[in-house]
Order: sequence, then structure tokens, then C-alpha cells
Amino acid sequence: MTEDVLVSARGLEVHFPIRSGGALRRTSGVLRAVDGVDLDILRGETLGLVGESGCGKSTLGNALLRLVPPTGGTVTFDGTDVTSLDRRGLKEMRRRAGMVFQDPFASLDPRRTVAQTVSEPLEVHGLRSGGRERAARVAELLELVGLDPAVAGRYPHEFSGGQRQRVGIARALAGEPDFLVCDEAIASLDVSVQAQVLNLLRRLQRQLGLTLLFISHDLSAVRHIADRIAVMYLGRVVEVGPADAVGSDPQMPYTQALLSAVPVPHPELERSRKRIVLRGDVPSPAAVPSGCRFRTRCPYAFEPCPDVDPALQPVGAPGQLAACHLHGVVGRPVDSGEPVAARD
Amino acid sequence: MTGAPLPEPAPSPTATDAGVPSTQRAARPRWRETLGLLARNPTAAAAGLVLLAIVLIAVFDETLAPSGPNEISVEDRLQAPSLAHPFGTDDLGRDILSRVVLGAGVSLRVGFLAVAFALVVGSLIGLLAGFYGRWVDDVLMRFMDVLFAFPAVLLAIAVLAVRGPGAGNTALAIGVVYVPVFARVTRASVLGVREEVYVRASRSVGASDFRLLTRHVLPNAAPPIIVQTSISLAFAVLAEAALSFLGLGTQPPNPSWGLMLAEGRGFIDIAWWLAFFPGIAIFLTVLCFNLLGDGLRDVLDPRQRTLMAGGGR
Ligand SMILES: Nc1ncnc2c1ncn2[C@@H]1O[C@H](COP(=O)(O)OP(=O)(O)O)[C@@H](O)[C@H]1O
Ligand code: SF4
Ligand SMILES: [Mg+2]
Repeated sequence: MTEDVLVSARGLEVHFPIRSGGALRRTSGVLRAVDGVDLDILRGETLGLVGESGCGKSTLGNALLRLVPPTGGTVTFDGTDVTSLDRRGLKEMRRRAGMVFQDPFASLDPRRTVAQTVSEPLEVHGLRSGGRERAARVAELLELVGLDPAVAGRYPHEFSGGQRQRVGIARALAGEPDFLVCDEAIASLDVSVQAQVLNLLRRLQRQLGLTLLFISHDLSAVRHIADRIAVMYLGRVVEVGPADAVGSDPQMPYTQALLSAVPVPHPELERSRKRIVLRGDVPSPAAVPSGCRFRTRCPYAFEPCPDVDPALQPVGAPGQLAACHLHGVVGRPVDSGEPVAARD
Repeated sequence: MTGAPLPEPAPSPTATDAGVPSTQRAARPRWRETLGLLARNPTAAAAGLVLLAIVLIAVFDETLAPSGPNEISVEDRLQAPSLAHPFGTDDLGRDILSRVVLGAGVSLRVGFLAVAFALVVGSLIGLLAGFYGRWVDDVLMRFMDVLFAFPAVLLAIAVLAVRGPGAGNTALAIGVVYVPVFARVTRASVLGVREEVYVRASRSVGASDFRLLTRHVLPNAAPPIIVQTSISLAFAVLAEAALSFLGLGTQPPNPSWGLMLAEGRGFIDIAWWLAFFPGIAIFLTVLCFNLLGDGLRDVLDPRQRTLMAGGGR
């Protein structure tokens, strides 16, 4: 891989123990929130991460920044292994990578003013010395996100959702990060302000040369802003590639199903659009099906699907990868540990 | 979006959510808001004012007392309340009003010291147990359980037996009894706050545990601790009285409400005022700390707060 990769996950796993019986704390199973994710995020790109609610998008985003400890696999950030960073390395990594959260009502400390919230990264990393310089930087950041610097002394409860989200973005940008994870950053906003915050993020991405991981449960929303799209199902990235390719010619049945649920804004195309209606519900991440995890709902499932866990393989457009045996049985058989075929 | 304190701007073509917040309400520190809300609760406000008076009396006890605590005047023995002695005199002719005033100093000092000890030690334990969880939680809270399992009076008596009587040791004895209470209250509150997104947000920008604990977790976990402080003060004053009544706390001839109660008990048939006035003082103080605690609970409860102030979460 010669492209300039900023963040990379290999075999990344985040398994949560399922505890039963309170005081005894017996582990009665594991919930595989993230279960073997391979993903590269290229410097300067916007990567859209889509998938149904509960498929592990947030956990993956958090694990990339080590806000949730991975239980397996590796994450590298700009060439360094994030999982083995010491305290100082981790701190610096967190300066260089920011996060914007879904709920702007929950992500700001109600007891701290806008100025205190936005200047926290400055204080933590000693980025500006002295109160006056920090205040100037806070004003600059507020202006950058389209807020009046005069609001610095106010408390979060005085703001609307969109304004709060701008405060959250200002905080995420304070450390001058290279990488920003936006976890459903506009999902809980009013429709009327979603576009504004989305445009703000796009502008900031261009202006500051940010690398963006844009997490959303809505494939159609992501198509317009992402350079590439990664599709997640039950803790695994099952398809990834250029936004046009994944958004118009998906190679993995799950992505096709996701896409067929999106209305096409053209009457004739809409009529001819073939709908793939999935049977059943998403299985629990505590009981992931063997082999291909999508097989319990896949209309094309065939013999190898329960027995071989499909690996991502190049299919369709250049740079497009999909994990599906329809393109050739590639992956790890369920009982032996040996891969069936080498990946590209 | 229900529960949003401010409406989003109307979705008109020029609508923007940027700029100045739509209310002109000036930023106010939270504690002033709290005081304002408390003032609107008449019972709690009255209790607070009475407590303020009692605390002032306790602080300036020696200036305020009409006579010394141990001024004996044989000819004035067991005088009923009069203009010269509004609360009467005891069997040694000592002015009861003076002794109640000076007793306020002793009782409140012991109470505050005890609660301060329990607050600092207990909250620190609860904070660490709640924030770090796992074995830290197990070790600290099991220790608290053991402490809590002892009957309170027995535990206090044990501390006093080891360290001897006296105001400082009485405070320590009562404080030790309340450490597990503060540890539990703090831990429960911290368990809720540590999961808040703003704590993770702060961690995501590189904040240290110390910073998370002091800047975010503790301030947001504080309300139940403050309520507990007020209620514990009531119990601490009561406990000091009880220990002194049993002869384990404040030692004669120092004035303490509990001790005066014990001393006056023998005269209850012929001179009711000996026990009555210290009894009233204890009752009033304990009642007011409890009422204030209830009022604080109402005001500091986040949901209640949203209802009353129409803002914040
Ligand atoms: N801290 C946690 N402990 C246990 N389970 C968790 C935790 N965080 C997330 N999960 C579970 O992991 C799965 C994926 O969650 P999440 O990453 O939030 O999904 P998404 O963001 O795609 O909706 C869900 O089943 C969720 O319940
Ligand atoms: S591997 Fe099999 S079950 Fe999985 S998506 Fe492809 S065809 Fe469907
Ligand atoms: Mg999520």
C-alpha cells in the first residue's frame, strides 16, 4: 500500500464481557462490538462509516482513539502503534485526534462555560501560555466555528443544539488535530440545522486539511460528503471503497440492501429500482453467526457461507473491497485457522 | 429535541444557528442560581436563616454570652427564668443562657469538624472507588462495609476508648462513623457522572485522570454530597449530644448541650429549664439542618432544577 495512510486498524477487536449475577461478576459471554476490523483512513480524506445502529461504529471510532481499550488487533496512528503508547504518547495522540460526539446536550459539561470547555485542550497540552493568549485563541476558535466570541462566558444550557455542537467542534479543534472522528455529529440536531453543521464540517475539513472519519447510520447522507465509504455489519467492515462505487455499485449484498432502502430521486429509476428486503433481524453481537456474519439474512447465501469467514477482497471499482464469497471464496474457515486463499 | 432549553431558530431561508444565544440572560455562576432557588423555598430559607444565626452565635459565643460558663453563684441556684437569667440558672447557679450560647460553640465545632473529616475522607474514598471501579472499588467499599456494619455508637465509643474523651476526639469518633456514609453517597453519584459523555469528551482531548476527577466528575457529582453534608451535620450535633450525655464526649465543666441535658435530667421535676433549653437548642439545630438538606435536595436535583429554572440538564 503506497497511499498515505494516517490511521489504520488491523484485526481490531473490542469485546465486552457480558456479566451476569451482579456481585459475583461472572462473565457469561462476550459481546463482540468490534470483531476483526481492517480499515485504512487516508490522510486528508473524508471516510464515511455507515451501518445500522448497534453495529459497532461508535465503539470502532472510540477504539481508534483508544477511548475504549481494544481487546485485540492493532491501531496505528501516523505510523505509531496506538495500543502500546505510554502516557505521554497517548496524550499527544489525543491532541492530534479529536472527536465530535452525537448528543451536543450530553457532550458539554453543564458546569463549565464555553470558554472553559474550549480552552481545556489548550490547558491540557500547554498550547498557549497565559490567560489572555488563551482567551484570544478561544475567540479565534469560536469564530472559526461560526459563533460570536462574546458567548465565551456563557453556560451550555443557554445554547441551542446546533450552537452546542459548534462549541463541541471548537473544542475538538483546539489542539490543532490532524484527525477528527465525527460520531453521528449531526444526527441528533434539528433537520434545519443539520445542513449548516454539515457544511461547517466540510469547510473546516478543507480549510484545515483534516482527515475526517464521518460516522453515520444513513448511507445516503454520507454519499455526498465522503470520499470513501466503509460499511459495517455486526462489528466488521464488510465493504469499503470510493464513495461513488460503494454508493452506486456495491459488491456486498448487505450494502446492496442498505442502498436499495434509499429512495432514488427520479421517478423512473425509482420504479425500476430493485429492492432487496432483508429477512430477519440483525443477530445479537453476543451471538455472531459462523462464517459470513451476514448469512442469516443474505438472499444469496450458499454452501461456503457458514463455513468460511469471508475476508475483504478487491472487487468492482479500483480501490473497492468487499467481504463476500460471491466474488470467490476467500477467508478463514471456521474450524481450522488456515486462510483459504491469500488476500491479494 | 424536547427538553431543549432554547428553541432552534425557525427554519427560514436565512435561519442560522450561529451567533449569539437567543436569550440575553447573562451568565451567572451556578451557586448563585442555587441560592436563588433555595430562597424561593420558604421552609429551607427559614431553616437556613436560623442556622446562620446559630452559627453566628457559635462563632461569637464568648462575646455573646452574658456571663462566663462556669461562674458559680450559690445564692442564684436553680432560679426560674427571669429578666436577669432569661433561661434560668442551674444547680450551681450558672446562667443557662450563657451555657447554651457557649454550648453552641462546642456542639457546632464538634459537628462541623466531624462532618468535615467524614466529608474529606469519605468523599475521597467514594470518588476513587466510583471512578476507577474494579479492584479499587472492591477493596475500598468492602472496607467501608465493615466500618458501616459496626453499630454507630459502639464505633464512636471504641474510638473514644482508644483516644480518650475531649472535643477533638469526639469529632473524630463521630467523623469515623460517617466516613462510609459519604463514601457511599459519593460513589453512587460518581458512578452516574463518570459515564457522562462530557467526561469522555474531556478524556478525548487528553485530560488526565486528576483533571477529569477535579474539574468534571467531582463538581457534577457534588449535589448529593452537599445534601448529605447538611443532613450529617444534624446527626453529628445529635451524636455529640448523645456521647456527651453518656459522659463520653465533652467533659464537665465545659458546656455542651448533651452534657447539660444529662446534668439537667436529675432536676426535671423541680427545675425543668435545666434540660429544656439545651434540649430546644439541639432540636432546633437538628431540625434546621434536616430542613436545609431537604431544600437543597429539591434545588440540586437536576430534574427538579430544570423544572424550576427552565434550563440546564
Ligand atoms: N461499554 C460497553 N459495554 C458493553 N457493551 C457495549 C458498550 N458500548 C457499546 N456496547 C455494545 O456494543 C454494540 C455496538 O455499539 P455501538 O458501537 O454504540 O454501535 P453504533 O455506534 O454502531 O450504534 C452494541 O450492541 C452495544 O450495546
Ligand atoms: S458471503 Fe455468502 S452470506 Fe455472506 S454476503 Fe456473500 S453470499 Fe451472502
Ligand atoms: Mg453510535
